[in-house]
Amino acid sequence: MKWSQFFNTSIGKKLLVGATGLFLCSFVIVHLAGNFSLLKEDGGEAFNLYAAFMGHNPLIQFIAWGLKVVIVIHLVLALQLTFRNRAARPVKYAVRPGNQTSSWYSRQMAIMGSVLLIFIVIHLAQFWWRMHYGEMNVAMYDGKETGNLYEVVWFAFKESWIVALYVIGMIALSFHLIHGFKSACQTFGLNHKKYNGIINFIGVWLFGVLIPIGFAAIPVVIFIKQI
Amino acid sequence: MLNAKIPAGPMEAKWADYKSHVKLVNPANKRKLEVIIVGTGLAGASAAAALAELGYKVKAFCFQDSARRAHSIAAQGGINAAKNYQNDGDSVFRLFYDTVKGGDYRAREGNVYRLAEVSASIIDQCVAQGVPFAREYGGLLSNRSFGGTQVQRTFYAAGQTGQQLLLGAYSALQRQVALGNVKLYSRHEMLDVVTVDGKARGIIARDLISGKLERHFGHAVLLCTGGYGNVFYLSTNAMGSNVTAAWKAHKRGAYFGNPCFTQIHPTCIPVSGDHQSKLTLMSESLRNDGRIWVPKKKDDNRKAVDIPEEERDYYLERRYPAFGNLVPRDVASRAAKERCDAGYGVGTSKMAVYLDYAEAIVRYGQIEASKKGLDHASEEEIIKWGKAVVAEKYGNLFDMYAKITGENPYEMPMRIYPAVHYTMGGLWVDYELMTTVPGLYALGEANFSDHGANRLGASALMQGLADGYFVIPYTVGNYLADEIHTKPIPLDHPAFVETEKAVQAQLDTLMNIKGEHSVDHFHKALGKIMWDKCGMARNEAGLKEAIVEIQALKAEFWKNVRIPGSQDEFNPELEKAGRVADFIELGELMCMDALQRRESCGGHFREESQEDGGEALRDDANFQFVAAWEYKGPSSFELHKEHLDFEIVKPTQRNYK
Amino acid sequence: MKLTLKIWRQQNTKDKGKFESYQVSDVSKDMSFLELFDVLNERLINEGKDPVAFDHDCREGICGACSMYINGRAHGPWDETTTCQLHMRAYNDGDTIVVEPWRAKAFPVIKDLTVDRSAFDRIIQAGGYISVNTGNAVDANAIPIDKFDADNAFAAAACIGCGACVAACKNSSAMLFTSAKVSQLALLPQGHPERKQRAMDMVAQMDKEGFGSCTNTGACEAECPKGISLTNIARLNREFIGAGLTSEG
Repeated sequence: MKWSQFFNTSIGKKLLVGATGLFLCSFVIVHLAGNFSLLKEDGGEAFNLYAAFMGHNPLIQFIAWGLKVVIVIHLVLALQLTFRNRAARPVKYAVRPGNQTSSWYSRQMAIMGSVLLIFIVIHLAQFWWRMHYGEMNVAMYDGKETGNLYEVVWFAFKESWIVALYVIGMIALSFHLIHGFKSACQTFGLNHKKYNGIINFIGVWLFGVLIPIGFAAIPVVIFIKQI
Repeated sequence: MLNAKIPAGPMEAKWADYKSHVKLVNPANKRKLEVIIVGTGLAGASAAAALAELGYKVKAFCFQDSARRAHSIAAQGGINAAKNYQNDGDSVFRLFYDTVKGGDYRAREGNVYRLAEVSASIIDQCVAQGVPFAREYGGLLSNRSFGGTQVQRTFYAAGQTGQQLLLGAYSALQRQVALGNVKLYSRHEMLDVVTVDGKARGIIARDLISGKLERHFGHAVLLCTGGYGNVFYLSTNAMGSNVTAAWKAHKRGAYFGNPCFTQIHPTCIPVSGDHQSKLTLMSESLRNDGRIWVPKKKDDNRKAVDIPEEERDYYLERRYPAFGNLVPRDVASRAAKERCDAGYGVGTSKMAVYLDYAEAIVRYGQIEASKKGLDHASEEEIIKWGKAVVAEKYGNLFDMYAKITGENPYEMPMRIYPAVHYTMGGLWVDYELMTTVPGLYALGEANFSDHGANRLGASALMQGLADGYFVIPYTVGNYLADEIHTKPIPLDHPAFVETEKAVQAQLDTLMNIKGEHSVDHFHKALGKIMWDKCGMARNEAGLKEAIVEIQALKAEFWKNVRIPGSQDEFNPELEKAGRVADFIELGELMCMDALQRRESCGGHFREESQEDGGEALRDDANFQFVAAWEYKGPSSFELHKEHLDFEIVKPTQRNYK
Repeated sequence: MKLTLKIWRQQNTKDKGKFESYQVSDVSKDMSFLELFDVLNERLINEGKDPVAFDHDCREGICGACSMYINGRAHGPWDETTTCQLHMRAYNDGDTIVVEPWRAKAFPVIKDLTVDRSAFDRIIQAGGYISVNTGNAVDANAIPIDKFDADNAFAAAACIGCGACVAACKNSSAMLFTSAKVSQLALLPQGHPERKQRAMDMVAQMDKEGFGSCTNTGACEAECPKGISLTNIARLNREFIGAGLTSEG
C-alpha cells in the first residue's frame, strides 16, 4: 500500500485527523500555561515578555505556522470525512434515537469544531493580527521595548459580550475534546482495559474540564476585576 | 432392488479402499466441468468451497440474502468427532457404534462408519479456518459430553457451534468467490431439476428480486437444501426452510428415503398462542442439570414453586432410573407428550412440562460454599452462588427463555414441550451420495443416509461437513470422470425450455387462483394434520384419516389460495405458496410411509407396536429396510426397499431403564 | 393491546417510498415483533392489499436476516436483541411504533423493509477468510491458543452480519462488522500469515462500498444484538496502521 493509498482510505484520513487533533491538544496545554501570566499582578510584564518571545523566536514562529497548517489539515480532512459520512445515508431516518445510543457531543464534532473555528478566527483577528500587523502601545522592560498586548487583552475583556463569546468557545472546546481525545486514541488503536481509565480521565478532566475552565477563567476574571 | 454401492471388504477398509480406486479427473478437465450446488448451509458451503478448491467451476444458489444465513447457523450444541483428545476411550468404532445404535438400527453401516472416520478431519479443517472452538486454559480444545454419550467427544463454541462452523465454511466459500471459482446466486430459489437423457444437467431457478426464471447448466447438480421439518408448520426450522428442491428432484425421479423419520426435540419453548410462527429450541445440554417434572395431581393450577416436593412427579427419573433426565430425544419427547395427554400438563395451554433448576442451583451453590471453605453459609448465599454458576454455564439460554416468555427461569421452573427439530428422512442416496437420478446428489440433512430413525445430538453438523468437505470431493469425481467429453448443454436445449415452461405454468396457476385464503392458512392446516396424526405418536386409523384430509387440503389449496402482487417482483407470498404446495404433497407421502412402517423405531412411534410398559418396539424381521419411494404421479408413490445388513452392530432392543 | 404502526412502504429500489399507518388490535404481549407483522400481513392479504415485505428467517436471533429500525432504534428498544426476539411486552396499549428499513447508501432498499446487504459479503470476499484448502489442515491441537485470545476471537466471531451497526451509526459506517472479522482472524495464530493483506483489502472494500467512516460515537456497540465490542474497531485500526506502515506491496 503506497502512502497516497494509505492516506486516502477512511482510516488513513482519520489517522491524520486524530494526529493533528492530538497535536492541537498539546498546543492548548502550552497556550494555557502561557496565558496564565495574564493574571499575574505585575502590570503585564510577564505576559508581554512571553508574548514577545512567542512572537519573535524563529523556532516558535515556525511552529506557529505549522500550527496553522495543522489546523487546516485537521479541518479539510474532517470536512471531507463529514461529507462522505453524510453521503453514506442519502435518505434520513424519520425517527432518531437521540442520546439513547450515543452522547450528543460525540455526534456533534463537526458543529463543535465549526464553533471553535469561528472562535479561533475571531481570537486571531483580535490579538494575533493586532500584535503582528496592528498598532499597540509600547511597554518597556529592562530597557527593552515590547508591544503591550496585555493592555489590549484587558481592554477587550471589559466587554461582556466578548467574555461571553470566549466562554461559549471554551464550552465548544470542552465537548470537542472530551470526545476528540478519546476518539483519537481509539483511532490509533489505543483501547485497552488497563489504560482506558486513564485515557478517559485525561479526556474528560484535563481536556474537558481543566483546560477549558482555565481558558474561560481568564476573560471572566479580567472582566470581574475591571467592573 | 436398490443398490447402495457399498464397497466390498472389511468395514474399516471400505472408504480407504474406495478412495484409492476411485476415478480421478485431471486438473485441466476439472476447469471445464461445471457443478451446480443448491443451498449454502454446512453441506452446501463446504461442498462448494471444496470442489472449487479442486478446480471445478461451481455455481452456488441460496434463497437467503446471504450464503451465511442458511439454517445450519442455528445449531447450538456442538459437533461430534472421534478425536479421543480426552483419553476416555473414544474411537472411530465407538462413534460408529453409538450412531448406529442411536439411530435404532435403521441407518446404513457403511455410510456411518465413513462418517465416523472423517469426523476427526472436520475438526482439523475447521480449526485451520479460524473456527473459535472452546478451549481449556492450556490452549487445547475443550470437549463435552452431549446427548447422553459416555465419552466426551463434542466440540463446541459456546451455544453457537453451528454459527461458527457455518461461518468457517462460508468464509471458505467467499474465498472461492473472490478467486472466481464460484459464482454465487443469493436470493435465488431452485424450482426444478433439468434432466437430459436421464441425467441431471441443470436447474431452473427464480431470481427472487426480479421474479425472472433462469436456466443454469451443470455437469452435476448437488442438492444441499436441508430438512423438511416445516411440513409441521411449527418447528425449530427457519421460516424459509423448505422441501421444494428435494421434492422437485423427487418428482424428476429421485427416490425419497424414509420420509416419516422426523426428530422431535424434547426441550423447546412451548406455544404461546395462535400467533406462534415458529418454535425455539433450548439446547439439550439443559437436561444435564435440570430436572423434568409435572404435578402428581391432574389440572393442578398452583404455581410451580407452591407445589411441594412430594406432589411432584419426576416422570423421567421414575420411568428410566438408569438414564433419568438424559434419555435420548425421542424417549424424552414421547414421555412429555404422554403426561400432557394424560392431563398433567402445566402452563395456560397445559401442553408443557417443567424443567427445574432449583436443585441444581442449590447443588452448585453448596459446591461453591465448600470451595470457599464456608461450612455454615446461609441458604441465601448458597442460592446466590448457585445462580451465578448456572448463569455462567447456561446464561445465554436462560436469557433467551426470559426474553421469549417474560418469566425468570432462575426463580421459577422453565416450561418446555417437544417440537419438530430435524428430519432423518430425505432423498435416497447411495454410498457416493448420488440419488437415483445420475448426476444428482444430495448432501447433509437433505439426504436420508446416516442417522437412521433417530439422530444423536451433535451429529447433524458432523454429517453436513463430512459430506461437503470429505465425501463429495471424491465421489463426484467418480461420476464426472466420465463426463469430460460432455460439452456444456446450450440453455435453449428442449429439456431446459420444457422444464422452464412447466415451472412457469405452475407460477401462472398459483397467481391465477386468486382465492380466499392466505398461504399461511393452508400451511397451518397442514401442520395441524401432520402434528396430530403423524407427529410424536402415530396409528393406522389416524394416518389413514390424515391422508384423506391432506388430499382434500391439496384440492382446496389449488382452488382457494390467495397470492397478492405479481410474479415479476419480490413476492415472498408467492415463494411461500410454492413451498407449501410441495409440503402438502410431501405430507401425504410421510403419512403413507408412516402407515407402511408398522413398527416403532427411533423417532417413529406406532402405537400398535409397543411393549407392555409403553416403550417402542422394533420389528426387525419385517422392517429392517430403508423405504425409498418413487414418484409415480399425483398421490401415487411406489415403495422400493433397500435391505439393511448389520455386519458389526447387531440390532438389540434399546433399553434406558 | 391496540397499536398504531407507521411502516415504510416502498415498492422497489427506484420507488421513492412513504410511510403508511395501520391500526392493529388484539396484540398479545406474548407475540414477537415479527409475529405482529405476520398478523398484519394476514389481514392485508385478506383485504386484497400488498403485505409488508421484510427479511426474516431463523426467528431465534442468529441468522441475522431480520432488520427493522423501530422508533429510532436498530432492532428496537431491547439491548442485545434482534427484531425477531423482541416481544410485544416491550410496548403498551395505544403506542405508536414507527418502523423503517436500515438506511444506508450501501444497503439499498429492495422493497418496504427489505434491504440489500450483499456489500457485507463482498467485504468478506476481500479477505475475511483464512486461505486453507480442504485437507491441508494440521491436527486441531497442534497449535495451542491462549484461552483469553480464543475467547476474544469467539466474541468477535459472534457477529451475525445483520447490519444493525451500519443502521445505528450516524455515518452508516461498517467498521464494527469489518473489525469483528479482522479481529477474529488476527487473534488466532492461523490468521496471522494473511493479516496485513486482510486488513488493507477489507478496509479498501468497505470504503468502496460507500459506507461512512467511524467517528467513535459507540452507537454500533450499543445496538449490536451480539454485543460486539468497540475494542474490535481499535484492533482493526492497529492492524490497518501496522499493515499500512510496513507493507511493501
